[in-house]
Amino acid sequence: MPDLDFRAAVTRARPAAQPAAEPAEAVATREVNFYYGSRQVLFDITLTAPEREILALIGPSGCGKSTFLRTLNRMNDTIPNTRLTGVVRVEGEDIYAPGADPIALRRRVGLIFQRSNPFPFSIRDNVAYGLKVNGLAKRKADRDAAVERSLQLAGLWDEVKDRLDTPAHALSGGQQQRLCIARALAIEPRILLMDEPASALDPIATSRIEELALELKTRYTIIIVTHNLQQAARISDRTAFFLSGRLVETAPTQQLFTNPGRKETEDYLTGRFG
Amino acid sequence: MFKLVTFRRFTAVLGGVVAAVLVAVVVFFVIYAWPAIRLNGWHFFTSNTWNLGNLYANPIERNGRMILPGAHYGILFLIAGTLLSTLIAVVLAVPIGAMAAVFLAECVPSQLRTAVSFFVELLAAIPSVVFGLWGYVVVIPFLGHHVYPWMTAHLGFLPFLSGAPGSGYGLLTAGLVLALMIVPLITATVRDALVSQYRGLRDAALALGATRFETLWTVQLPATRRVLVGSGILATGRALGETMAVLMISGNALNYLPRNIYSPISTMASFIVSQLDSALQDPTGLAVRSLGEVALALLLIAVVVNGAARLLLYYQDRTTGTTS
Ligand SMILES: Nc1ncnc2c1ncn2[C@@H]1O[C@H](COP(=O)(O)OP(=O)(O)OP(=O)(O)O)[C@@H](O)[C@H]1O
Ligand SMILES: [Mg+2]
Repeated sequence: MPDLDFRAAVTRARPAAQPAAEPAEAVATREVNFYYGSRQVLFDITLTAPEREILALIGPSGCGKSTFLRTLNRMNDTIPNTRLTGVVRVEGEDIYAPGADPIALRRRVGLIFQRSNPFPFSIRDNVAYGLKVNGLAKRKADRDAAVERSLQLAGLWDEVKDRLDTPAHALSGGQQQRLCIARALAIEPRILLMDEPASALDPIATSRIEELALELKTRYTIIIVTHNLQQAARISDRTAFFLSGRLVETAPTQQLFTNPGRKETEDYLTGRFG
Repeated sequence: MFKLVTFRRFTAVLGGVVAAVLVAVVVFFVIYAWPAIRLNGWHFFTSNTWNLGNLYANPIERNGRMILPGAHYGILFLIAGTLLSTLIAVVLAVPIGAMAAVFLAECVPSQLRTAVSFFVELLAAIPSVVFGLWGYVVVIPFLGHHVYPWMTAHLGFLPFLSGAPGSGYGLLTAGLVLALMIVPLITATVRDALVSQYRGLRDAALALGATRFETLWTVQLPATRRVLVGSGILATGRALGETMAVLMISGNALNYLPRNIYSPISTMASFIVSQLDSALQDPTGLAVRSLGEVALALLLIAVVVNGAARLLLYYQDRTTGTTS
C-alpha cells in the first residue's frame, strides 16, 4: 500500500500543530532569487502562504508571478539554464535541499496551468493519470472511486458521468479546465497552485472555478495567480502584489484592497499601470 | 473571395487528376492481366509453383487460351516473402525509429540537433541500390559468417531461429536492410512531431509527479500516435515495394517457402524485375500478364495494409481523442 506510506510520510513531514490563532505555514519562501540564464526575474521574494487559505498573486504581466509559482513545485527545474537561490519550504521541508525529491514534491503540490492542457486520452484516463504514474489506487474499483470523487470535487461529474470514456478534447474550454483541476485533485495534493485558471473562460465558467476554489479551501492550501482584481478580492484571504520581479507588499486581502500600504500597490489597483 | 474559389477549383482539379491516375493504373493492370487472372484463378494465391512451362514446345490450348505446356503460375512463396520481410522491417524499424526520434528531440542539445537531423535525413535520401550493394558486400558476409551461425547455436531453441543458417542471403537480411532504409523515415517524422508538440502536455505530466521517462513514454509518444502510425504506413509501403536492395540480398528463392528466418526468399517487387526477361520469352504472352497480376496483387496488399492501419487509428481515436 504505497499510497498509505506516502500519506504517512507527508504527515510526518508536517510541522507540529500550531496554536489555533496562528495557522501553520504551508509554503514559505525566504529571499528567493531566480534567473533565466543570466537574466534575473525574481528578487529576494520572502513570502508565506498559511495553511488552508487562498493566497492571491497579482501584478502586471511579466512581473514573475508564473515563475514564482513554478518555483514552489520545482517545475522551473525542467527549464534548462535556470538558477535559484534562497530557501523554499513546503510544510516545513526545504524543497531545494540536496537530496530533496522533486517528483515526490510535485505529488504534494499540484499545479493548474494557465492554458488548460488535458491529455489526448479519455476523460477517465486523464483523471486517473496521476494515480497510475504514482502507483496509487492500483485496484480498478479504487481508481474509479478516485476518478468520481475528483470529478465531483471539480464540479464536472454530472456533466461527464455518462461519457467518461470519450475523448477529453471534446469537452468545452471551461470543462477542460475543470478536468485539469480534477486531474490535479485526484492524487490529493495538499497545496494547489493555480496559474490564472480562469483567464480563458466566460463569466459563468469563471464563477464556477471561484466557487470551487472556495470549496477546496477547507482542505487545501491554494495559491492563485490572477489578472482579475475582483476575483482576487472575492476569493482570497491574503494578496501579494508583485512588480518587476519584486514582492511589493503582502497583506490580508481586505486590507490590501481598501488600504494599501505602498504607493505602487495603490497605483496598480487604481489602474494607473499594468 | 474570387481567389479562394479559383484556388479551390485548382486543388479540386489536381486532386481529381491524382485519383484518376490511380484508378487508371489499376484499371490498366486489371485489363492487361485479365487473361492471366481467368486462367490462374485462386491457385495464383495458394499455389507455390511458378513455372513458365516448356519454352521450346508448341503452345497448347487450355480453357480457350494458348499456353505453354507445363506452365503454372502460383505466388504463395512471393506473398510470404514480401509480407514476412516487411513485417520484420517494420517491427524493428518502428520502435527503433521512435526511440531515435525521442533521443533527437530530448537528449541532443538544440544547437547540435540540426546537424544530427541533417544526417538522419541524408540517410533517408540514400538510393536503395546503394543500400543493396552495401548489403551485398558488407552485411551478407558479416551476418552469414558471424551472426547467423551464432544465432542458430545459441538461440536455436526459439521457433524459426533454428536450422541451417545459410550463407547470409535471405529473410532476416532483407528485413534488416529494409529496416535500416525505413528507420530514418520514421525518425524524421516523429522527431518533428515531438519537437512541435504543445509543451503543456509534457508539463502537465511532470506536474503530476511523472518522471521524465514516464512523461515521454505515457504522454508524449502516445500523443504522436497518429504521426507514428502515418509514418509506419509510409514505411510499410516503401518496404513492400522495395525492389533493388531486396533483389541483391534476399537470395531470390523460387517456389520455396521460408523454413526459418535465414531462408532465402523473394518478394513480389523484386520478382517482377528478376523474371521480366525470361517472361518475355513466352510466345503466348501469358507469363508477362501473370507478372502483371503479381503487380496488381502487390497493389492490393499495399491498399489493404494501408486501409487496415487507418481503420485501427479511427477506432482508437473514438476513445482517445485526436491530436496533431
Ligand atoms: N522559459 C523562460 N525563459 C526565459 N525567460 C522567461 C521564461 N519564462 C518567463 N520568462 C521571463 O521571465 C519574466 C517573468 O515571466 P512570468 O511568466 O513569470 O510572468 P507573469 O507575471 O506570469 O506574466 P503573465 O501575467 O503575463 O503571465 C518575463 O520577463 C519573461 O519574459
Ligand atoms: Mg503567467
